[in-house]
Amino acid sequence: MTNTIQAEPREEFGKNESRRLRHAGRIPAVVYGGGGQAIPVVVDPKAISQVLYSEGGHNTVFTLEIKGRTPARVLLSDWQVDPVKGDLLHVDLFRISADTRLKLKIPVQLTGEPFGVKTEGGILEFITREVEIECLPDDIPEHIVVDITEFKIGRNLRAGDLPLGQRVKLLTDPTRMVAHVIALRAEEEKPAEEAVAGAEAAEPEVIRKGKAEEGEEGEAGEGGAEKKPEKKAEKKEKK
Amino acid sequence: MLMPSKVKYRKQQRGRRRGKAWRGSDLSFGDYGLKVLETGWISARQIEASRVAITRFIKRGGKLWIRIFPDKPVTKKPAETRMGKGKGAPEFWVAVVKPGRILFEMEGVSEADARQAMRLASHKLSLPTQFVARPRAGAA
Repeated sequence: MTNTIQAEPREEFGKNESRRLRHAGRIPAVVYGGGGQAIPVVVDPKAISQVLYSEGGHNTVFTLEIKGRTPARVLLSDWQVDPVKGDLLHVDLFRISADTRLKLKIPVQLTGEPFGVKTEGGILEFITREVEIECLPDDIPEHIVVDITEFKIGRNLRAGDLPLGQRVKLLTDPTRMVAHVIALRAEEEKPAEEAVAGAEAAEPEVIRKGKAEEGEEGEAGEGGAEKKPEKKAEKKEKK
Repeated sequence: MLMPSKVKYRKQQRGRRRGKAWRGSDLSFGDYGLKVLETGWISARQIEASRVAITRFIKRGGKLWIRIFPDKPVTKKPAETRMGKGKGAPEFWVAVVKPGRILFEMEGVSEADARQAMRLASHKLSLPTQFVARPRAGAA
């Protein structure tokens, strides 16, 4: 993994210039934080991807060398990805200093196959994949590893149970569910749901019932419209 | 089949679909998903057929999330009807999708099983799709 990424200051802005940059194989980025000014830059998306998909992921601290400026230690604060191709479109880089505590989202990594899944036929539900923590840049954990081999059906893992070091403070609610092993009852009920769904499909009247109510309202409205001419007729008679 | 329990208006105009799915294009719940690559409508019947195909393949184990909901009514005029006399009656419900939208997500199965289940589901749809998996750390 590269620990240093080169960047150039960006002088032209806007969607057209950004589009040209992306066509040339580079992406726009911005560096901010750490008490300094925000600097628009141009970076190589491959280098950023290497950082993003490394062991440390988006919490990897690396050095950014901007031409004509002093190198800064940064980490990925935000990134935009093309929804179809998955290419990086833009990244936000956050300047850090060694003595300032950071608020980060750290991925939780579960290891081992739970007893409840292997033997009891349950399934593991991984609910919270990232927890928020506060720590100094040098203490950032790559991920939080939890061994779940002993987990039987009904056992759960909460954010407060995660093995964090003494230098790391958990910001996520400690009672928040991270993962649990559940029985497969809900899945077994699905065929019944299928039957109900099939019945609905066979009876389009069920769909029209909902419509009929609205239709009745509409008819009521139309009825109201019909009443008005009658009133007018009455008025005419009075005259 | 999926459909809204309550709607404000019975009929809708067709609308236009431009751009990409900037929302709903990431895996939010499971490890594997099915992503659509073109714009279009996916009917409630297609969603149900895909769901049945997936649940029948995975049998026991695994969890499925359906990330789209058919909330748009499509009307149809009866056969051999002259033009005019108002818009037809609501016939079915569709979900409007744009490229990049995640349709289904799965968890608790192997990647091979998830691929096969999503392949079967994609055969029930009228739009091209792509299997997606959560990127693993160190995959770069």
